Amino acid sequence: MERRKSVRRQRKNTRPWLKKCKEFLRQFIAFLFSNVGIILLVGGYTIAGSFIFMTIEGKHKLKLKEEVLNNRTIFAEKLWNITFDLNQRVMEREHFNNSITELLILYQKIVVNFTRRGYDGTDDLTSSAQWSFAGAFLYSLTVITTIGYGNIYPRTPEGKIATIVYAIIGMPLFLLYLSNIGDIMARSFKWIYAKCCLCRCCPGVAKRRAIRKIRREQKMQADYDSDEEASEISSESIEVTVSIPPVGPRDSIVSEAVTEELETDVQNIPVPVTVCLAIMVGYICSGALLFCKWEEHWSFMDASYFCFISLSTIGFGDLVPGDKIYGRGRDFYSEVLEISFVFCSIYLMMGMALIAMCFNLMQEEVIHKIQTTIRTVKYILRCNR
Amino acid sequence: MDTYYRNGSSRSRASSSLSDNDPRAKIKDCCRKVVAFMFTQVGLGALVFGYTLIGAVSFMNLEKKGNNTEPDEIQFHRKKYMVQLYKVALKNNIFDEKNFSIDTDRVLKNYQDKVVEIFKHGYSEYSTSDIWTFPAALMFSLSVITMIGYGNLVPKTNYGKLVAVIYALFGIPLYILFFLNVGDALAGVFRWIYKKLYRCSTQPDEESDLPPKRIIVPSSACVWVMVLYVLAGAGAFWAWEGWEYLDSVYFCATSLCKIGMGDFVPGKNILSPTEGDQTKLVISYVYIFFGLGLVAMCYNLMREEIREKVKNIQEDFNQCLEDTRTRIIACCNKIRGIEDVYY
Repeated sequence: MERRKSVRRQRKNTRPWLKKCKEFLRQFIAFLFSNVGIILLVGGYTIAGSFIFMTIEGKHKLKLKEEVLNNRTIFAEKLWNITFDLNQRVMEREHFNNSITELLILYQKIVVNFTRRGYDGTDDLTSSAQWSFAGAFLYSLTVITTIGYGNIYPRTPEGKIATIVYAIIGMPLFLLYLSNIGDIMARSFKWIYAKCCLCRCCPGVAKRRAIRKIRREQKMQADYDSDEEASEISSESIEVTVSIPPVGPRDSIVSEAVTEELETDVQNIPVPVTVCLAIMVGYICSGALLFCKWEEHWSFMDASYFCFISLSTIGFGDLVPGDKIYGRGRDFYSEVLEISFVFCSIYLMMGMALIAMCFNLMQEEVIHKIQTTIRTVKYILRCNR
Repeated sequence: MDTYYRNGSSRSRASSSLSDNDPRAKIKDCCRKVVAFMFTQVGLGALVFGYTLIGAVSFMNLEKKGNNTEPDEIQFHRKKYMVQLYKVALKNNIFDEKNFSIDTDRVLKNYQDKVVEIFKHGYSEYSTSDIWTFPAALMFSLSVITMIGYGNLVPKTNYGKLVAVIYALFGIPLYILFFLNVGDALAGVFRWIYKKLYRCSTQPDEESDLPPKRIIVPSSACVWVMVLYVLAGAGAFWAWEGWEYLDSVYFCATSLCKIGMGDFVPGKNILSPTEGDQTKLVISYVYIFFGLGLVAMCYNLMREEIREKVKNIQEDFNQCLEDTRTRIIACCNKIRGIEDVYY
């Protein structure tokens, strides 16, 4: 790669437009290494994690399941005894029902206790049904994103240690990914916003808008000036000048300012907070729509609750996609499980990057607004005194 | 808030107008600092604490109204399977133990699947008012705003879910603000202690060293603090909860990383309130609250050091590049020189 680039550079050094091309190429490579690289790193780390957890946890035999099986045979025997007893006498339905209900209640309590201790409902003695590739992938993703649903969790001591180490390395990596991707997405979004929504591409609209803006600024400047003159007499001048924000040149010709305005960097255009909020709400709602189509039992409310809880990295784990299908070892279901897992993990990765983007966009404006309010409050308090 | 600004501004002006040597000015300055500290650090902490309290009360009230449908559901299924069992008993009434046990096993297996499924919906044999006690609700609101999300206790009613979402929307920024602020304050304290210790330990032999040398707390110190905190907490949970030591370490680490799997939660007694006492829950609440503050401190301290290191590495790298470049140029020149001599 390096050599080819250098060769090209040598050959086509003379033409000026090729310099641009070269610059573009260099930027592209840098982009690949910095940003695509980190996406790949996070993806690879997650995949590696899923293999690690699969090998550690997948072969683990659960004593619990043996206990469950034994428990069931014991109860079957007990039932046999009851039936046998009743058969000796007359087989009464009422009597039989009563004794069996007692037994079933006991059985239910035992099963509930087993489930609380981590029984997942299958008869498979190993926990490989839970720790399929997709399950382990989602598990490692929830660890590094600190969501932590807790629908799957490690049982072996090695798995627990691996989880701790994995989290300690993975979390900074994911934060890096978020800040990087958030930055890029914020930039591209600003560009799109400026080009499309504000119609920067067609010059007529932009010109009119710029003229309007400058006129407004001039008016405000005039107001400020009169204010300043008035306040300079009353209180200390140093304090007041601090509170006046810098305003553009007043007496410059309008057309000059317009061209200046048009040439200013696209990156300086602020994106309003409402747009960011709308994006987030829209993302959650669209995700909720998809999930409530996907999962049979979820209402729209449930699905949007799930999306919010996941994207805010709270992750209760009361609702997890594909969770209800656990415990049926059939092929069809397991396929659906895999697809919904993959979809869920993609949704999570994208959503977190999107949220990082929105934070990136909102940060400046929110900070600016807070500062201005603090300044005005201070100003008002000082005036009153 | 208004009082804070008024205080701050008036005091600052007062202190600046007075002469520096005046002891009153010093006292005033000190007072101002204390007030500012109270309003920023303690006030924020109190705000977060109050927010969790409000959350606990509101969640308690909301969720206690909701009723468990799961026990009814389970009862319905129990009746259904009982009928099936009766049929099995009638069918195999000819003392055929083998067939009987096979059929019974099948029925029981189905019943068990049903129970597990209903359990995953959130079955609990206790009523909602038993589950949503005050300490449990407090723990729940803490786990929401800190984004831990254990998930052992979740809102079931629609209103509860809605309120949880809104609560998180306002709580998470508040918590992040608190996190950053406490991180700053604790980092300042830790740095000060470290500096004192460092000076004490190195003063006798390094008198001639440059005084304005910046002391950066090494990240190993932070790591040690964290490890000690986790191990101590793990010891406490090990003693109280009767978990294995590794499990307690795992719990502490995942909680402080905000992962919050929820497979181990202090006070499984939340789900069986008659067994355990709720003070443990409050203590673990305090443990997690402080632990997150410590994490913030370490984050703050380590960020500084890592920045410094990255800068150093970049400088080194640039120097290295420059070195190789000059070397290559020198080499090329030499070769050219040799070629010139040749021809």
